Amino acid sequence: MTLPAASIPVIPRGVRLHHDKVRNQWVLLAPERTISLDPIGHAILLEIDGTRTFETIARTLADKYDAPLDQITSDVGEYLHGLMIRRIMDVAT
Amino acid sequence: MAWKKPIIREIE
Repeated sequence: MTLPAASIPVIPRGVRLHHDKVRNQWVLLAPERTISLDPIGHAILLEIDGTRTFETIARTLADKYDAPLDQITSDVGEYLHGLMIRRIMDVAT
Repeated sequence: MAWKKPIIREIE
């Protein structure tokens, strides 16, 4: 599952990144759930600013991690889709 | 840090 290249991921109102000092890890806080972020998940969320397209985000991460764009696109698309079905990520088109 | 497929893990 991946997203259209031109779609723009948006973190919805009421959802925010938070550093949990007790667990020393980043989490995504939503009204009804909390998602633990691994370092890659955190890196993905940091790229989402509500203006950049999925394609731009994937290319940025592929450059940053020196990894194949196809793999990044697939992994990031699947990750964001997982957040969308949990209603903690929106996509503008 | 190398790329590793991210996993969504919910905190109960």
